[in-house]
Amino acid sequence: MKFWRLPLDAEEQIIPVGRLFIIADRCKGCNFCIEFCPNKVLEASPDFNRKGYHPPVMKPNHECNNCGLCEVICPEFAIYSTVEEKRRFTEVDLVRYEEMSSGEGKGEQE
Amino acid sequence: MAKKGKADRQDKVARRATAENGPRIGVYVCHCGLNIDGSLDCEEVAKYASSLEGVVLAKDSMYTCSDAGQEQIKSDIREHNLNRVVVASCTPRLHEPTFRAACVEAGLNAYLFEMANIREHCSWVHLHDRQGATEKAKDLVKMSVARARLLQPQVETEVPITPRALVVGGGVAGIQAALDLADAGYKVYLVEKEASIGGRMAQIDKTFPTMDCSICILAPKMSEVGRHPNIELMTLSEVESVDGYIGNFHVRVKKKPRYVTDDCTYCGDCIKDCPQHMPNEFDCGLSTRRAIYSPFAQAVPATYLIDMDSCMNKHGIVACDRCYQACQHKCIDFSQQEEILDLDVGTIIVCTGSDVYDPTPLTELGYRRFPNVITSLEFERLINAGGPTGGNLIRPSDKTVPKSVGFLQCIGSRSKRSNPYCSNICCMNTIKDALLIREHWPDTKIYVFYMDIRAFGKGFEDLLMRARREGVVFIRGIPGEILQDDNSYSLKLIGENTLLSKLYEYEVDMVILSVGIEPRKDSAVVKRLLSLPSMADGFFMEAHPKLRPVDTPTGGIFLAGCAEGPKDIKDSVTQASAAASRANILMAKGKVTVEAITARIDPERCTGCGLCARVCPYGAILVDEETKVATVVEAACTGCGACCPECNFGAITMRHFEDHQILAQIDALAESDAGGKILAFCCNWCSYAGADFSGVSRIQYPAEVRIVRTMCSGRVDPKFVEYAFAKGIAAVLVSGCHIGDCHYINANSQTEKRVQRLWRKMARLGLNKERLRLAWISAAEGMRFSQEISALKEIVEKITPEEIEKGIEAFAPKRLPKGEHPDEATRPV
Repeated sequence: MKFWRLPLDAEEQIIPVGRLFIIADRCKGCNFCIEFCPNKVLEASPDFNRKGYHPPVMKPNHECNNCGLCEVICPEFAIYSTVEEKRRFTEVDLVRYEEMSSGEGKGEQE
Repeated sequence: MAKKGKADRQDKVARRATAENGPRIGVYVCHCGLNIDGSLDCEEVAKYASSLEGVVLAKDSMYTCSDAGQEQIKSDIREHNLNRVVVASCTPRLHEPTFRAACVEAGLNAYLFEMANIREHCSWVHLHDRQGATEKAKDLVKMSVARARLLQPQVETEVPITPRALVVGGGVAGIQAALDLADAGYKVYLVEKEASIGGRMAQIDKTFPTMDCSICILAPKMSEVGRHPNIELMTLSEVESVDGYIGNFHVRVKKKPRYVTDDCTYCGDCIKDCPQHMPNEFDCGLSTRRAIYSPFAQAVPATYLIDMDSCMNKHGIVACDRCYQACQHKCIDFSQQEEILDLDVGTIIVCTGSDVYDPTPLTELGYRRFPNVITSLEFERLINAGGPTGGNLIRPSDKTVPKSVGFLQCIGSRSKRSNPYCSNICCMNTIKDALLIREHWPDTKIYVFYMDIRAFGKGFEDLLMRARREGVVFIRGIPGEILQDDNSYSLKLIGENTLLSKLYEYEVDMVILSVGIEPRKDSAVVKRLLSLPSMADGFFMEAHPKLRPVDTPTGGIFLAGCAEGPKDIKDSVTQASAAASRANILMAKGKVTVEAITARIDPERCTGCGLCARVCPYGAILVDEETKVATVVEAACTGCGACCPECNFGAITMRHFEDHQILAQIDALAESDAGGKILAFCCNWCSYAGADFSGVSRIQYPAEVRIVRTMCSGRVDPKFVEYAFAKGIAAVLVSGCHIGDCHYINANSQTEKRVQRLWRKMARLGLNKERLRLAWISAAEGMRFSQEISALKEIVEKITPEEIEKGIEAFAPKRLPKGEHPDEATRPV
């Protein structure tokens, strides 16, 4: 890992944490939200909804940051998010940074 | 035109002379003071040379390269009507141009000159074997004379030089080089990988020994680059490919988008709302930044940028537009695309800089385990007014000002566990840092744990004395272990004071590891793109360590800054100006002659099979499908010779390294005692230079080896090796640049294939495969070269006369194509 130390100003950062609301029974399983979520925090639930589709659920240990894209693109108005809380910069963000900078984006270029 | 006329005239003179008189060779054996004469008998070598066929006169002189020595050659050429000159002295990589010029002045074509390397390849490596060295020198001279007899005059082509320069890397060296060239009136493209120019110097707080504020002296230069009409600054850009040759490089640059247009006023409104937080690389991760950011306040170009790797819109869908909403001028543009730019430049200056050593592997120091163990670069950010703490030195664990600090020197330098070399700057950097702490927090106890303090530059010793006067404690002996108190996070240093031979224990609040400099992780990419050689430690290698310190072996490409080796700001700037001046010389002349070492194809013999075109690394051979004849594009041909061995019809002539010239060298060395000799083929750029390096380093090895130089190992035709075995030579070494480092892109991959084919053939014929050896030896691996020769010598000692005989029979001359045997091949002159 490139950076291991928590930045000195980590305490001062305010990172929005979104809370996702999924109205499962409205979902028709188009998977737009799962596919287009920029943070890739959604996956299809193994359960069926009343219509017989697999609605999205949050992946465990993932965090929504309330960008609202899912809300915009959902054709069935079945998903939306609100800012529930704010948090500080933590080690999790370091790990995520490492994944992002060594992951798909940089990989292609090098 | 005048020059060409002159060359033509020379050509005619040489041809006439050769036709009328046959070869008339003058041999000059140089004593080089005692450098050569001290280890072998130059007089005897000269006497021997005079007995060789075609030699009209042979002399030995003290310094052949001196004016007097050159004058002697010139007057002899005129007086004795010499048409070939052989000088037995140092490496042709040093003085071939000198002697060639002397020949040309006396009316002889430069390509009728030949050198025997009896210093680097003989006297210096056989210091204590006078008999062996003298015999070897005789052989080397005999080989050179044999080759000289068959040399042909060549006419060099003149190429124009594009008056534009490319500077790779925008650190202080790149900035200086770009400004110098731009001020001289040339168009300069400055390519920088990061978002801003400035490099390492922008990260540093103060400079030694004058304690100037680093960014204060750099920022004006940076903005000058930004607004200079002759400089085209390309940030977030990387060189993708480089083709061409001196004066005519075609460079492809990939420019990543900033996603912020030039209208940006640098107001900073955009960053507040960005939800993506990450560590700021510029501050070594000691502060955070957003996905839209500017690396530092003085950045040039002074616009924000979006790091698409961490922005939420990286998949091409605008999921988040908070920065766009916040920007009053609406200068955020998510639709920007990567650009590919094609540049034509005449010269290239490589200033790619360095990385700092990561001390994590030295586990006893606790970096990454103990929060209060920091590196010197982290310290620079901590004490920098523009840094994360606004210039307040604090302990990362509890953000209090440390009462005592310990500096540990030579971390990652001068050790077998890390990098073996001295990183040059760390001693003075620590002294400067210690004085900075003293200045701001006078009560802090400062300990410096060192191996040796190297204060070698102008004003350095004064600074060291000042630090001593101001109470910085210097302790000789680096701690063997650091322990942390888990309550107070203070650190205990345990080690031995080697001046007192006593164990010590010191307790300090913070430890600063004075980390060394190492080559950039991506320097291998630059190395491959520009086919630059590098030293064993990974820094790029200069053409000559003393006399051409900023040139690379490739014409038109120059080096500056830490890419060439660890150095401080002053040296980087000096070197950058030197490199700019070297590039300026080329571009001001406007043209350059390129060596006449290119391939020619005889259309009569060519069948248009296209095998040669397939191996040419430069695509310089074109096969006409209709006429079934291949032709060489001379401007694109670089003269590696990889094509020649491929031709089954003997249609390709490699000028100046023709088959019969090389075979004549083998003949000459095999004339006596072939069964005890080793023939080594060395490529001009790596292994020949490696052999030179072992000479310069006086690394001794057995005297049985005789080196034949080719431009590339790809020139080594399997039939040369077979011919050598047919002549009874005990062992053959084929050597070249490391795979991936070939001066001619990948021509040495052909070498590998051919040698493997030869091994298979030898196995089939029941020959000992060990007699043929393949080795990749870089220009810095003198030791490696001597090891290879010693290994071969052991093999040679074990080879029985029967085995040699078997080789002679197996590769008997009947297997050679007609007309290739040097005895019958007297080319029409």
